[in-house]
Amino acid sequence: MREPVLTWCVPLELLCSHPLPVSAFLKTQVKLYTYRACAGKDEMGKMVSVINTVDTSHEDMIHDAQMDYYGTRLATCSSDRSVKIFDVRNGGQILIADLRGHEGPVWQVAWAHPMYGNILASCSYDRKVIIWREENGTWEKSHEHAGHDSSVNSVCWAPHDYGLILACGSSDGAISLLTYTGEGQWEVKKINNAHTIGCNAVSWAPAVVPGSLIDQPSGQKPNYIKRFASGGCDNLIKLWKEEEDGQWKEEQKLEAHSDWVRDVAWAPSIGLPTSTIASCSQDGRVFIWTCDDASSNTWSPKLLHKFNDVVWHVSWSITANILAVSGGDNKVTLWKESVDGQWVCISDVNKGQGSVSASVTEGQQNEQ
Amino acid sequence: MEELDGEPTVTLIPGVNSKKNQMCFDWGPGEMLVCETSFNKKEKSEMVPSCPFIYIIRKDVDVYSQILRKLFNESHGIFLGLQRIDEELTGKSRKSQLVRVSKNYRSVIRACMEEMHQVAIAAKDPANGRQFSSQVSILSAMELIWNLCEILFIEVAPAGPLLLHLLDWVRLHVCEVDSLSADVLGSENPSKHDSFWNLPGNTQTLTELELKWQHWHEECERYLQDSTFATSPHLESLLKIMLGDEAALLEQKELLSNWYHFLVTRLLYSNPTVKPIDLHYYAQSSLDLFLGGESSPEPLDNILLAAFEFDIHQVIKECSIALSNWWFVAHLTDLLDHCKLLQSHNLYFGSNMREFLLLEYASGLFAHPSLWQLGVDYFDYCPELGRVSLELHIERIPLNTEQKALKVLRICEQRQMTEQVRSICKILAMRAVRNNRLGSALSWSIRAKDAAFATLVSDRFLRDYCERGCFSDLDLIDNLGPAMMLSDRLTFLGKYREFHRMYGEKRFADAASLLLSLMTSRIAPRSFWMTLLTDALPLLEQKQVIFSAEQTYELMRCLEDLTSRRPVHGESDTEQLQDDDIETTKVEMLRLSLARNLARAIIREGSLEGS
Repeated sequence: MREPVLTWCVPLELLCSHPLPVSAFLKTQVKLYTYRACAGKDEMGKMVSVINTVDTSHEDMIHDAQMDYYGTRLATCSSDRSVKIFDVRNGGQILIADLRGHEGPVWQVAWAHPMYGNILASCSYDRKVIIWREENGTWEKSHEHAGHDSSVNSVCWAPHDYGLILACGSSDGAISLLTYTGEGQWEVKKINNAHTIGCNAVSWAPAVVPGSLIDQPSGQKPNYIKRFASGGCDNLIKLWKEEEDGQWKEEQKLEAHSDWVRDVAWAPSIGLPTSTIASCSQDGRVFIWTCDDASSNTWSPKLLHKFNDVVWHVSWSITANILAVSGGDNKVTLWKESVDGQWVCISDVNKGQGSVSASVTEGQQNEQ
Repeated sequence: MEELDGEPTVTLIPGVNSKKNQMCFDWGPGEMLVCETSFNKKEKSEMVPSCPFIYIIRKDVDVYSQILRKLFNESHGIFLGLQRIDEELTGKSRKSQLVRVSKNYRSVIRACMEEMHQVAIAAKDPANGRQFSSQVSILSAMELIWNLCEILFIEVAPAGPLLLHLLDWVRLHVCEVDSLSADVLGSENPSKHDSFWNLPGNTQTLTELELKWQHWHEECERYLQDSTFATSPHLESLLKIMLGDEAALLEQKELLSNWYHFLVTRLLYSNPTVKPIDLHYYAQSSLDLFLGGESSPEPLDNILLAAFEFDIHQVIKECSIALSNWWFVAHLTDLLDHCKLLQSHNLYFGSNMREFLLLEYASGLFAHPSLWQLGVDYFDYCPELGRVSLELHIERIPLNTEQKALKVLRICEQRQMTEQVRSICKILAMRAVRNNRLGSALSWSIRAKDAAFATLVSDRFLRDYCERGCFSDLDLIDNLGPAMMLSDRLTFLGKYREFHRMYGEKRFADAASLLLSLMTSRIAPRSFWMTLLTDALPLLEQKQVIFSAEQTYELMRCLEDLTSRRPVHGESDTEQLQDDDIETTKVEMLRLSLARNLARAIIREGSLEGS
């Protein structure tokens, strides 16, 4: 199977004969949909997925593509220095905007929450972060942030509850935080030397109000503790917290990788007290970090898998039940947690089946 | 329990060249984006022709099928009915209710099958026709499995009726069975067959039945041994069939379309009073004999076999794998859970498997522009994670129309999802402002209890008034009621409008005091004071004295306060210069009016006191 593939990795076992604590219910394994795009015998129930293709007409490599909040618009960015926005409702593709403004390859785009309007952020090799806004039906550059000395690699909007805040990670090792203060003004806070050599990824923690979530009197903002995670070329993942004085402080260092951390992704909250972060690295490993209690600060890593090549990108589905990982092996693999807390991609490794190479078998101590 | 083996299934993305390029992805709310990329971030990319395509991949394709939609809609009704079945009911009445539910589900599947079959026949494009036909066969398989599960797990038919149910089951799904039974009935002893199988309404006990059957079976054996029918090989083989001889049965393989048909026929003749727990022996051997080592079992076969083995979990597991959407396993598992079957299998998280499958199914529904509403109800009946899943999904529903937005809000409000209500109202308010529908924006911000936004919108209203001299959306502002208290600016807007009303009703004294209080209480933003004072002019110039001396002093004080604090914020120099002239004139006029009014007021008050 030498074709590029999207592997839907299996979970599982619907059954487990070990009694489990109630908290483990979350971790039931279930098999995902099966797809066979190639023609074969008429197997029961196997329907081909609908694949829409959007022709972006980018003239160079595409580096990122992001759906907006509702899945109606698609933003893409490319080495051709442009950011494009498409309307993809009902399987269509209408180019809404072709935004020029960067002077180098654009690495990432990120949509802000719709309550702030139609806002898109992009970051580029040209050391700039540009915030684009749709005003009266047209997209325009709303703000430009040029506070970095090197390529800006990652941008991520904070949970909407915190306001309109953008975190940017750069190859100059710094992380800057842009907060919209109104009337077209943005306030900048910079964390210098967040990571030595460079910062590759930033990801915000979901908004959780400490204590009980009582209905706040109107106009008063609840006291959120703002946190985000960053991954860098120092092989570390760092967790940052905003102090009462508004300054950002390094709260934790998560060490487990032996090479540059390429991406971090903080999982959306599903109402449980656990926090989960996924990280991937040049060392081919993907770790799942969990912290059981919001107030305690012990994070424990679990190795999801060791790939044969660099792993570049990890991302959680919106209900956090699937983690997608893309690596240098030209595949995107999907993972789900199993009943006994193991992360599974293949259901039955022991029988030597599967299209992933044999090295997968190590470290996969499966149920049974 | 055995692991299910299967490699992770692979979806090939056409057009992505893996030899040259890597693949990156991102999640959308209900889909995934995939495209070719190069992760090595260099400034100059290699001169490799890159693919400009982004692929959007969806999991829940079936959601978009027109015909299946009926299935989803109608089964939704059945699902809700099932959840509401009185938990107090036990025993026979409960069982009969559950069987009825099962039959309802099955009839819905059949109806869908019928319709799809019609479409398949009528299809002009043969490829479409084939696709529909294959969908029909999938639905048929689903009904087959469900029916068997109903017999074995829900009806829990005991020995005796069990075989009858199985006969019906096979008859429903395989037409050829009729020809075989016709054959058999045409044999020498039809009367014996008739009376023996006259079971509906039969009052014989199982033992009586068994005895009768044994007797008849022995008689047939004797005939065979005596070679009574030796002259007719056809009749002899018929006799062998009636004795349940597998080899003889298999000779008629063309009449038996599949192994479970073979199984039931075999049981009919060799062990009609088979007990449920013995079924699986016969099932496995029937499958093996029928396939005869020539072919291997298909997924459907494995599922049926698991059912005969009463391994519910294996059935669910295999169905999850084989089928392309969660509809079947979610509804079946839910029903079995209501039959208290999952717990009895002693799986600690048995009930959570139900929830898990329902969550997956419901999530799939949210990918659809109108079916998402069904999904809401499914989430409601998932006690552990239903609520939070609903919260995460409902915010992602595109609010294309006002009606849709209201529908979504109603759902959130009914469930006290205040965060979601607030967030959605804010989004709508923002959208309204951008489209200049200020009234709409204001009502959304009030609903969201968003003071900051209410202030913003009120400012826009006031600005509009300054520019055009009139208010838009008067109805809304006039009827704010207690909502006015949301923000100071909003309160001011409401009160200011009230001033205008009073003025219109010629309640000058009231209007005057209100106007003054707006300034003195500091509710009015400073930037608006000039406008307010200008509004006071006509009151000052009335024939009758409206403002008392005291009030006039206050007004003067406000004016001085205002003029002593130039420049007013934000204006540029050139604007300032132009405004200066207008401002000076206004101020002069005001000073004059105020002075005159003061004079008249003093005189009037002095005279009143005097007389």
